[in-house]
Amino acid sequence: MNRRAWERRLLHAAVVGLVLVILAPFLWLLQMSLKTQADIFAFPPKLVFVPTLEHYRTIWDTAFRRSFTNSAIVAVLSTALAMLLGVPGAYALSRARFRAAGSLTLWILVSRMAPPIAFTIPYFLAYRHLGLLDTRTGLVIVYLTFNLSLVVWLMRSFFDAAPRSLEEAAWIDGASPGQGFVRIVLPLSGPGLAATAILCFLYAWNDFFFALILTRTEAMTAPVAVVNFMNYEGWEWGKIAAGGTLVMLPVLVFSFVVRKFLVRGLTAGALRG
Amino acid sequence: MARSAALDRRFHWWCLAPTLAVLAVVTLLPTLYLLATSLTPLNLTQPRTAWDFSQPGRNYTFLAADGRLHGSFWVQLKLSAWTVGLQMLLGFLFALLLNLRSRFLEALRTVFLIPMVLPPIVVAIIWKVLYTPDISPVHWALAALGWPMPALITHPAYALLAIIVADVWEWFPFTMLMILAGLQMLPQEMVDAARIDGAGAWRLTRHIVLPFLRGVLLVAALFRLIDSIKAFPLIFILTDGGPGTVTEVTNYYSYIQAFNFSYLGYSSAITVVLVSATVVLSAIIVRAVGWGPRSE
Amino acid sequence: MADLTRRTFLKGAALAGGLVVRPPAVLGQAKPFAGVTIRGSSFQHVFHTYLKEYLPEFEAKTGMTVDFAPQAFPVYNQRADLELSTQGSAWDFLNITFIYSGRWIGAGWFAPLDELVNDRNQTPREWDAADFVSGAQSSLVDARGATYGFAWEAGAMLMGAGRADLIEKAGLKLPETFDQLLKVCEATNGKDGVAPFVADKLHHWNWIPYLMGYGGRVFKDPPGNLTPTLDTPEAARAAEYYANLLVTYGPSGLLSYTDDQAMRAQLSGRANMRTQALGWLSPLAKHEESKVKSTVRYALMPGGPAGQFPGSNSHGFGIPVGAKNKRAAWAFISWAMSKETLRRITIEKGYTTVCRRSIIDDPAYRKSMTFNGQDVAELYLKVLSLGGKSGYMKYRTVPVFPQVGDKINKAIERIATKQQGARDAMKQAQVEAIEDLKKAGVKLDA
Repeated sequence: MNRRAWERRLLHAAVVGLVLVILAPFLWLLQMSLKTQADIFAFPPKLVFVPTLEHYRTIWDTAFRRSFTNSAIVAVLSTALAMLLGVPGAYALSRARFRAAGSLTLWILVSRMAPPIAFTIPYFLAYRHLGLLDTRTGLVIVYLTFNLSLVVWLMRSFFDAAPRSLEEAAWIDGASPGQGFVRIVLPLSGPGLAATAILCFLYAWNDFFFALILTRTEAMTAPVAVVNFMNYEGWEWGKIAAGGTLVMLPVLVFSFVVRKFLVRGLTAGALRG
Repeated sequence: MARSAALDRRFHWWCLAPTLAVLAVVTLLPTLYLLATSLTPLNLTQPRTAWDFSQPGRNYTFLAADGRLHGSFWVQLKLSAWTVGLQMLLGFLFALLLNLRSRFLEALRTVFLIPMVLPPIVVAIIWKVLYTPDISPVHWALAALGWPMPALITHPAYALLAIIVADVWEWFPFTMLMILAGLQMLPQEMVDAARIDGAGAWRLTRHIVLPFLRGVLLVAALFRLIDSIKAFPLIFILTDGGPGTVTEVTNYYSYIQAFNFSYLGYSSAITVVLVSATVVLSAIIVRAVGWGPRSE
Repeated sequence: MADLTRRTFLKGAALAGGLVVRPPAVLGQAKPFAGVTIRGSSFQHVFHTYLKEYLPEFEAKTGMTVDFAPQAFPVYNQRADLELSTQGSAWDFLNITFIYSGRWIGAGWFAPLDELVNDRNQTPREWDAADFVSGAQSSLVDARGATYGFAWEAGAMLMGAGRADLIEKAGLKLPETFDQLLKVCEATNGKDGVAPFVADKLHHWNWIPYLMGYGGRVFKDPPGNLTPTLDTPEAARAAEYYANLLVTYGPSGLLSYTDDQAMRAQLSGRANMRTQALGWLSPLAKHEESKVKSTVRYALMPGGPAGQFPGSNSHGFGIPVGAKNKRAAWAFISWAMSKETLRRITIEKGYTTVCRRSIIDDPAYRKSMTFNGQDVAELYLKVLSLGGKSGYMKYRTVPVFPQVGDKINKAIERIATKQQGARDAMKQAQVEAIEDLKKAGVKLDA
């Protein structure tokens, strides 16, 4: 017994060590954002230093701030829209038998997995005439291409896993299919809805390619702003690190808060059972 | 039962119709537009080329003769094979390691989410730092050990490797989580029975665990494979396709053709090829997951 | 309450400005553009850094807000090209980059400025458009003589050595020929931890003087005949020579350097020589972060067997056709390019590559261009006159140059990283360039 406890402790230590190695690149960026320019270029690298928030302060005073607002608005709107449109559809797909279900699934999966350039070219060409280039509306619509399919894909697997007996009980009590869906199924699918919404938010927030091509100044999102900044401030690594940290911060906070659902959301749909 | 099947059907259609209508507008229409564009020599400096279908096969003929494009297929193949292979291997090993009943390890799992939820552009910045000799702790450490490393991202032999390492770091947690989820469905009886038969860890893995996970492994690999076709931010930030065209994957080449040179028609043709590959791979996934026509 | 009224008033003023059919005289009015925001961009350049320092004065005087965000050279060109191709309104003023001038002006993506220049309500007489050096303006004017931009830089390629002391210590002088350049590199390699040579990754600009110095060219006879001539023995020789400079004598990781990074390497004294436009080299003597102020020396771009062909070009501000607020954009451009602003930027900040004759002829300018006792203005003017004389820079303003330039970049990278020999790499560049030009519908020699 004692030996097993030892083994266990050893294993834990090994895993912690591995985790640190895995996280090192990420932690390195974090600490860099708190170093002065001189400390960043110091060799050997300083592990103990006096942290400074200077880089954060300077970039927050630039146009960078606006890109943050853009990112947040676009991500939230596109998530809301995708959920609103996608959840009922996913429910129907889960409960009904459609003859075209196979091709439908394929269509949805392809929309989700297609390389962004496949949509960027036609959207770019069409937006020129529609006046949607460099607008938040334009981005919200483009993000539906992957988020709507994501919602259908994930929610369907959640609904598939939910027992039907409760809805059926409601029907017996005289509820219509719609009432059954709204009053019984949706409240029970809270975790699934949360996981899906957060994944949508993440994908929209993290998008780089669409925003790179479809925005210029007015609707520019945070990831594009960071890259612009990086191209401009070639060697200002402290500011680049601070910018990168700011962009990933909301994502990290969100992921941490809903970590349990997130794991489920990320793996659901690929696994049945 | 008092409920009519027709009522059900109508409700389901009302639920599904808006989803499908919007999805059609945002995905099918653009795809048709892309197809149409691929049949024209569209170049924005010459507006007249927009709906010129006089030589519909022209772009596809160029495609067959474009050496740089063919090179990009090869780069893509190397990148995909290595990243997917390594991600599967690492994902599997880490999943086995973390699949022990321990609260502590369960809590640690969350940490592995970090690389994959980070904005890809931030991942690229992280690795840019590590690959820049002037500030990289890795370069410093190796030099201090008397083993100086060349700048990887500008070295033809290592540039692709640099991308592969960064990509594996970003995405092996995905395969890990998938496999972990699969492992947790592994019936304990199967393991116990094998143990009683005297199976060691290796044989247990080889004969019980792997066959059980086959479906999960296939799907995880396919997801990663399709995703690897999209590789963009890492290449954009780290190498810009270079040095030369060593890290120029097809997706990136298509981007350059469309948005650096304005050959939108030609780029559309390349993209049509990429989309076709996505369709084929996705079809395999749909089959594997068993979401085809239902027979319940 | 007071704040509210003020804001309402501003809004009203902006509205009125937009609605009145015949615009009131802008000049002489206090804050004629109150509440207006214009956006602009360019590639990153020390000129813009200086200009931005004076910007608050302009904003205070006119009441407008100028959102001017420069980007790295390739990024800027790509994004501007994309935006211009949609004739969109994201930017009110943009830089007309030399290599894109033929493409952008030719496609009608910039608005002609003549009307604004000649309108005395928009532009005072003493602004004097004729004061701009005609050589610098030539890429900003179309075949019919319409003007699309005004040049803020006449780029002239020189050699700048941040650590000329190392060269002297080795008993050598700043090189005048390619052979001497190699010798200097060899003699100073590794001294003091300084890399002898540095360059940015825009080989299609940096390498061409070497190509021409060895007797090669990019196109057969631009702009009439655009058949590429990249597979000649001269091109292979020049490519081999230049790639060798980069790998043997450049700092580690050089092949990914941007303009700015190469400049920083020189400023911090980590690299010695660079052959680039003076705008990137004069900061060595003037920039506050420069650690090589006392050791920097300048020279003409070295030459080869066929002669000296230092690159020269010009960049100017223009107004995209889709711009929303052309009058405000012009107010900004005419202020930025006015005699007074340019004079202050040259004299107070030490900016060197201005295009107004009246400033170049000013003794104060000459004085400000004397670095460490060296009269750099003379070197600079010599380069400008070289480029104008034989027209060897014509290759650069043809609309298809960006694509061909990309093939050159890739070929030099392949050689520098030893993936291919010079001959094969250039042969491949030639094949790719021909294919590309065919795609663009350009007629080539058989």
